[in-house]
Amino acid sequence: MSADLHTLTGAYAAHALSDTERLAFERHLDACPACAQEVRELEATTARLGAAADSPPPPELWDRIRAEALVTRQLPPVVGRGERRRRAGRRGTAAGRRVPLLLAAAAALLVAVLSVTALNLGLLGRADRADRTADLVAAVLAAPDARRVAAQPGGTGQATVVVSRQRGRAVFVADGLPPAPADRTYELWVVNRSGPRPAGLVEVAGEGRVTRLLDGPVTGNEQVAMTVERQGGAARPTSEPVVVVDLKA
Amino acid sequence: MTIGTEQGTSVALTWTRREPPHRPAQAQDPAARPAGDDALERLLALVARGDEQAFAELYQRVAAAVFGLVSKVVRNPAQSEEVTQEVFVELWRTAARFDPGRGTARSWIMTCAHRRAVDRVRSAERAARRDDLAGRRDQGRPYDEVAEQVETTLERERVRRSLDALTDLQREAVVLAYYGGHTHREIAELLGVPSGTVKTRLRDGLIRLRDHLGVDA
Repeated sequence: MSADLHTLTGAYAAHALSDTERLAFERHLDACPACAQEVRELEATTARLGAAADSPPPPELWDRIRAEALVTRQLPPVVGRGERRRRAGRRGTAAGRRVPLLLAAAAALLVAVLSVTALNLGLLGRADRADRTADLVAAVLAAPDARRVAAQPGGTGQATVVVSRQRGRAVFVADGLPPAPADRTYELWVVNRSGPRPAGLVEVAGEGRVTRLLDGPVTGNEQVAMTVERQGGAARPTSEPVVVVDLKA
Repeated sequence: MTIGTEQGTSVALTWTRREPPHRPAQAQDPAARPAGDDALERLLALVARGDEQAFAELYQRVAAAVFGLVSKVVRNPAQSEEVTQEVFVELWRTAARFDPGRGTARSWIMTCAHRRAVDRVRSAERAARRDDLAGRRDQGRPYDEVAEQVETTLERERVRRSLDALTDLQREAVVLAYYGGHTHREIAELLGVPSGTVKTRLRDGLIRLRDHLGVDA
């Protein structure tokens, strides 16, 4: 460790090094705990300088960020990092070390279960759910593997399904769909080898335009069908489909 | 329900400070530090699991700090928004890589924001070498701007006082590097001093700020 490298903590924390210098200094940091600690403190200091310049971003920025985040895959954690740190932090028997890990895993599982339960119980606000649906629609439409499959000819209106295997979801899009007959509603179905399952009711907006996220997961090997059903929908289709989209096509 | 953050790294460290610690009384007041750092760490842990609500809350808490810092460095409003977007998508993408053993969540977030902002201005500058340093010197002293703006909040006041406590050379080096996004060589050019001097002033300037602000890390 040269004395010269040692003085670079400030320039490093303020990002005032060239790329070459930065990489060299990062190698030094791995081997020099004193510098690493000083960098930690100086970065916490520059963070304060940064926060002192605060100014609110324009409100619409969040929508763009959220839309992009939803189609961005998250990096997995570095496996074993937590365990290494636990080992460095505490000394204990092998069994003693294993217990906190199990507890952490159990806690993580509990959190996951609780979040899913909260979602299913509808504890999230209606607006949140509407937002979430809009986001999922955007995420499917923007997915890199999004596929647009047109309805088989002879159906009603112009219907397509956009499906993303990666997102595991599909969106039903129609144009020029006539309103459903009085006291009736359109219902979507996802049909696989074991038969049809309900995938949501369709509300027809002006000029017969529909963009509807299909309920539940879709793999891309199914057919999507739309039938006319009683108000409120049915558990099984009771009429011939007016639209059929074969996702395998 | 508790979400564990990985505290407990206690690497024994000894090092020699180049200056004696100088900690004014107000810096010892815990209330003087921005609150909610533990909350940020919990939120990051949730974001790492893909929790969109937590991501929204994280954004609520730090968007102004990130956008403010990015704007300060980048200047151009449209580009500042782009960089802020990059920063948050990067936080979303890499949340699982945040290591509480290596600093606080706030520090990690602001370091990421500063890094991105600096990358943006440097690549823009590489693309347009014609903008010479003299031209940038005419934009005025970034410090004056900071001084103008740091009136409203206590935190700003505290940072301003801490900057005032630096020597002129320390302060200019810190402000040109951090808010100006300049390299130490550019700062040496701007201030007409050797770059070795800039490096040491950056270090002792930040150390003095650290002590003055009572920064925990």
